[in-house]
Amino acid sequence: MNKSVISYTILFVILVLIQALLMNHIVLFDSAVCFIFIYFLIKLPIDISANLCLTLGFFLGLSVDILSDTPGLNALCCTLLASLKRPVYFAYEQHDDQKRNVAPSIGTMGILNFCKYAFSMSAIYCLLAFFVEFIEFTDVVGILIKAGASTLFTFLMMLAIDSLLYKN
Amino acid sequence: MRNLLNFIIKYSTWFVFTFYVLISCILLVKSSDNHFSVYMSSANAIGGAIYRTSSEVTEYFGLLAVNQRLQESNAKLENEVLNLRQQLSQYKVLAQDTASGVMKDRFGYIGASVINNSTRHPRNHFTIDRGSNDGVMPGMGVVDQSGVVGIVDVTGKNTSRVISLLNQNQHFSAKVKNSPYVGSLTWRGEDPSIAFLEEVPRHAKFNIGDTIVTSGFSTTFPEGIDIGTVMGKVKTADDTFLVLKIRLASNFKTLGTVRVIKDGLKQELDSIRSIGTYE
Repeated sequence: MNKSVISYTILFVILVLIQALLMNHIVLFDSAVCFIFIYFLIKLPIDISANLCLTLGFFLGLSVDILSDTPGLNALCCTLLASLKRPVYFAYEQHDDQKRNVAPSIGTMGILNFCKYAFSMSAIYCLLAFFVEFIEFTDVVGILIKAGASTLFTFLMMLAIDSLLYKN
Repeated sequence: MRNLLNFIIKYSTWFVFTFYVLISCILLVKSSDNHFSVYMSSANAIGGAIYRTSSEVTEYFGLLAVNQRLQESNAKLENEVLNLRQQLSQYKVLAQDTASGVMKDRFGYIGASVINNSTRHPRNHFTIDRGSNDGVMPGMGVVDQSGVVGIVDVTGKNTSRVISLLNQNQHFSAKVKNSPYVGSLTWRGEDPSIAFLEEVPRHAKFNIGDTIVTSGFSTTFPEGIDIGTVMGKVKTADDTFLVLKIRLASNFKTLGTVRVIKDGLKQELDSIRSIGTYE
């Protein structure tokens, strides 16, 4: 347990730094942004208490917000995403007591289900983030294009990081 | 009492959820000009330290381009100094008994580097590596070698956050160079190289390619600092005012070195203005 707390802490710090120093400055085709830090929420064990999950989500978003001068934006979206984590996970996976304490991964879920899970989470996050930020705009199509492109970008980066960090 | 406790424990997740959502929403909508916002911006101690360290590493990659731009602006300034010196020597003879000298030292500059920058949000900010210890204060104007880039918003000890010109909530008083018609410069999101000069009187004369400069009506910028050039007129629903489309002079995607403008008369002017508002 202790070991996993330390490794999650390191993951938290590294992801926030990558987001602030690198990903915030990369905008592909003027629309795709990578929200790599939500990988932390995706990787949290499914069994973790709901309150802890929400708290971690809130502070994850707040850290990114402070570093990118978007107060409240990512904190709000991360809290919402944290609350949707379980429903999204169980939309693709059966209840299975053996898998509950480990981080969701290709190894535990199978590649197809993990991809579905990670993609859904990215899509929800990107939609939330862009709609909250551009709330005063009426250009719904533009927002959807941005959110779609960002979902793909985030999802691909997430798979890349996942295959680097966790050997299956 | 026990029932209440049980109730709270049973639905604790909902309470926690609502609490975080509320805090986020408050952060999202509140205005940024209070004391607390220093801790919630990239100008705070930790954010400043992170961005300083990273920019110490990355600034080397852009040195070539920065150097070139500085050389160009240096050459331009040297020319200007020569011209002005010549003019000055002519005027000195004429103005020997005029007792001015107040205006001479009105504006001062503080050099700074941009250590974090964004152009993709509807309300963009950037962070510079000078803070209250260096004399930077909220409300000061920021320019780079091409023109106006923003206004200081929050100052930490060694870093400050600047409201970029690319920020929908920030308007700049601007005018067509060599004309008296003043408008309000606004960025409408989307393209980081294009802004709009709104509320220009209908009868104002302009040509495409004319330079847009600061009006000098505020203590933030001296008069006549470049902002951009006129690209054309925009059709508007109501015909009382003109809206001009402006190509911005500065490249906001590659902000490097900037200067913060210090107005020596700011306090004096602000106190005069606050007196003059009786109804």
